[in-house]
Amino acid sequence: MHFAGLPLTTLLAIFGGVGATAVVLYLLKLRRRAVPVPFARIWDHVLRDKESSQLFSQLKRWLSLLLQLILLAALVLAIGDPRFGEASTRGRSIVVLIDASLSMQAVDVKPTRLAQAKLEAKRFVRGLGSSDRAMVVQMDMLPTPLSTLSSEPSELEAAIDQVRAEDTPADLARALAFAEDTLRGLNDPEVVLVSDGALDTSGASSHIPIEILPVGSGDTNVAITEFSARRYPLDKSRVEVMLEVTNTNDRPQEIELSLLGDGVLVDVTRLLIGPNERLPRFYSDISGASRRLEARIKLGAGKIDDLPADDRAYALMPERRRARVLVVTRGNTYLEAALLLDEYLDVSFVEPSAYPPKERFDVTILDGVAPTLVPSTGAGLFLNPPPDKSPIKLDKPITEFGFDRWNKKSPLLRFLALGDVQVARGYRIVPDKGDEVLGESDLGPILVSGMRSGQRVVVMSFDPRDSDFVLRPAWPLFVLGAIDAFIEEDTGYLSSFRTGAPWRIPAASSAETAELTTPRADKVIVPVKEGRAAYFGNKAGFYKLRSLGPEASEHEFAANVGDPAESRIKPEPKLKIAGKAARVAVPGTPGVRHRFWAYLLLFVAVASVIEWITYHRRVTV
Amino acid sequence: MGLIDRLRRSSHPAPAPRESLFDDDFQRKLEMLAIVSRRVFSGRLRAERRSKKKGSGVEFADHRDYVPGDDFRYVDWNVFQRFGRLLVRLYEEEEDLGIYFLIDCSSSMTFGGRKKFDQARRLCAALAYVGLANLDRVTIVALSDEVTARMPTTRGKGRIFKVFEFLSSLEPSGLTDLGSALTTFVAQHKRRGLAVLISDLYDPQGFEAGINVLRFNKFEPYVLNVFDRRDGHPELKGDLRLYDCETGEEREVTVTPGVLKRMERALTEYREGVERFCTSRQVPYFAADVEVPFEEQVLDLFRRGGFLR
Repeated sequence: MHFAGLPLTTLLAIFGGVGATAVVLYLLKLRRRAVPVPFARIWDHVLRDKESSQLFSQLKRWLSLLLQLILLAALVLAIGDPRFGEASTRGRSIVVLIDASLSMQAVDVKPTRLAQAKLEAKRFVRGLGSSDRAMVVQMDMLPTPLSTLSSEPSELEAAIDQVRAEDTPADLARALAFAEDTLRGLNDPEVVLVSDGALDTSGASSHIPIEILPVGSGDTNVAITEFSARRYPLDKSRVEVMLEVTNTNDRPQEIELSLLGDGVLVDVTRLLIGPNERLPRFYSDISGASRRLEARIKLGAGKIDDLPADDRAYALMPERRRARVLVVTRGNTYLEAALLLDEYLDVSFVEPSAYPPKERFDVTILDGVAPTLVPSTGAGLFLNPPPDKSPIKLDKPITEFGFDRWNKKSPLLRFLALGDVQVARGYRIVPDKGDEVLGESDLGPILVSGMRSGQRVVVMSFDPRDSDFVLRPAWPLFVLGAIDAFIEEDTGYLSSFRTGAPWRIPAASSAETAELTTPRADKVIVPVKEGRAAYFGNKAGFYKLRSLGPEASEHEFAANVGDPAESRIKPEPKLKIAGKAARVAVPGTPGVRHRFWAYLLLFVAVASVIEWITYHRRVTV
Repeated sequence: MGLIDRLRRSSHPAPAPRESLFDDDFQRKLEMLAIVSRRVFSGRLRAERRSKKKGSGVEFADHRDYVPGDDFRYVDWNVFQRFGRLLVRLYEEEEDLGIYFLIDCSSSMTFGGRKKFDQARRLCAALAYVGLANLDRVTIVALSDEVTARMPTTRGKGRIFKVFEFLSSLEPSGLTDLGSALTTFVAQHKRRGLAVLISDLYDPQGFEAGINVLRFNKFEPYVLNVFDRRDGHPELKGDLRLYDCETGEEREVTVTPGVLKRMERALTEYREGVERFCTSRQVPYFAADVEVPFEEQVLDLFRRGGFLR
């Protein structure tokens, strides 16, 4: 036994002092109150009867003193917080990693694997040695410490209660690195992993001994591993949906796949999916869904699999509205022709002198002119701006050039073949810091994107009519792609984000913060930079983002489970990390060890009550 | 602690207002008792108490042999003529015998707020008034372990105020030792008579000694045992060191309800022991409860007889 509170010498000193005081007080108490009586001889008759029990009475008095000293000793012991079972004062330092990945939402053990993991973790911390200290860490894509290194089971249990499952994989390597950093330099470091073992162990290594508390038993799971939807660029009333269903078992499964548009069932399909098969499905024309799309799967006969969390997927269509486009030009047939191709554009042509107009526009195309862009006319596509007025600086004139390199991932140039475009004359662009070069020739940048006065601008440094660009199919696609990119309705619109990765969510460009409402209905304030709100998403479902600032706007987006591997929920109780099998942790015996002082106090209270009652009934006096 | 104990002990007796003891109301009650006593004993002569003393009375009592120096007038010549012996006639001497009120003035009489002592004084005054009204010779003697005060013998009810004054002047103190005090008393009073002992009889030496002294010296003892029921119901609890209010004797007691019951029983047995002793020796005994008005007790005394003949 040792004392976690005051040291033994101090306790002995306290007991000595208090005990001596108690004895003195007791002796004082033994000095009886003197009371006169009229005739003491009468009392002799009374006392004669009592004499037989006199010895026992004296004995009882000493027993009473002994009891008081025992109670005092118990109180002093309680102050010392005695601990048993640990001869050494050097306890272990433990990081308890609780797997909160998607697979821990499996219901093969009731109620869920995570709930079971919490119970196991609590059992473990209750059984910690008296000198052990532990920290509870939630392990999903990012390790999140929920407690300090503490030896107090109640604190650790409260931290365990805070763990909640996320729709992300668990990054074991990152969590182990965190644990190693935390335990560096501490006594007897140890990592206890409470997990189903369905983890990606590649890249994970640790110099610290790892033990595992395994949970989970079942592996029946069919998941929606891909779900994407988009509107057709030229017919935005039609939606194309791509979906992939994966059977993670070695057994074939019969499933029922449902597709809901705005909460209304629009398609139901029964499928037989083979062992470990990934089954893609395309819906080329889904009508009736204008905004929200949701896919659901169920096993045959209406049963649910062991992991319901990946049986749903979500997608959100871009808003189907006419984009208002202003064209400031003295006349450009090719430009007009390109804009005619999209019936969802509301195009207005004005002379350069009429700029800026009173109406508001989403996009402005400035052909051969470069007036100062006003906020009410939206983003600007500058075609061949005058060198002295260009929003992005133009350098010396160049001739005989083409697109030698271009950003094929840019929404403006995606799917375009620009390699053989020939340009007679133009200018070399000098991009500022932060500008993005979208296309360049060997002579320099010729297509650059950037932000000016809070508005997005794209500058093309040549007149398309001085090239064969306007004669190619790429021309109208470039123009429409630029417009879609400006109004976030590009054909490659991201119908959903993936959990477990940082998201850059479109927001009002003037906003600095935005309020994000998660599927759990939590409200989070997220930063907005350059028109994008940054957030690390870890929950699948529909989100709502409200930009805070002068241009308040609100829009929804969807998020789906990011890693298909997380749907493989088969437990791995014998987890191997860096080639070494993790030992199965054996929780200690929970009991009175940590709360021995409380039992001492309880004993004192009970003994005091008994002594008090018997004293007043004159049993112990 | 000893000093505290002494302070506690010395502060215990609380003096009572003296003037309220024999007020007008009390005196009216005395007058009533005197009238009642005359009705009860109507037809009796004054000073009718018959002495055992042989002397010069008119009623023949006995003969004895003549010794030189005897008055020839009392020689019974008829007997001499018949039997040839000189015998002297003896007559019962009729005299007004005295009534002695022996009032206990020890400290125990003031225990519990002087109720016992006040009751004893009232009873003494009442009986003395009755005696004075009957032209008896009344003497009051205060006792503790010795004779502490004495009111000279007096007669006639007009002297009742002297009785009041004497009784009012008494202040209880000291130990109880009836044997010693009454030995002194009988030595001081050769004239025998009715000796009314008014006491709580809390005598550490034993109450028997005092009564026996009276009996053996040819007094007619009459015991008035003044008692306070609260003596048997002390409001005590817990661990106590009891000390005798007179002797200072100590007893360590843990007072419980059981002990209090035993205490009550012991006190009752003590009084019963006194009564048994008196009855077996033909000594009239009367237990006077301090809670009962004195006039009721006096009337009760009259009814039981023995005090006035």
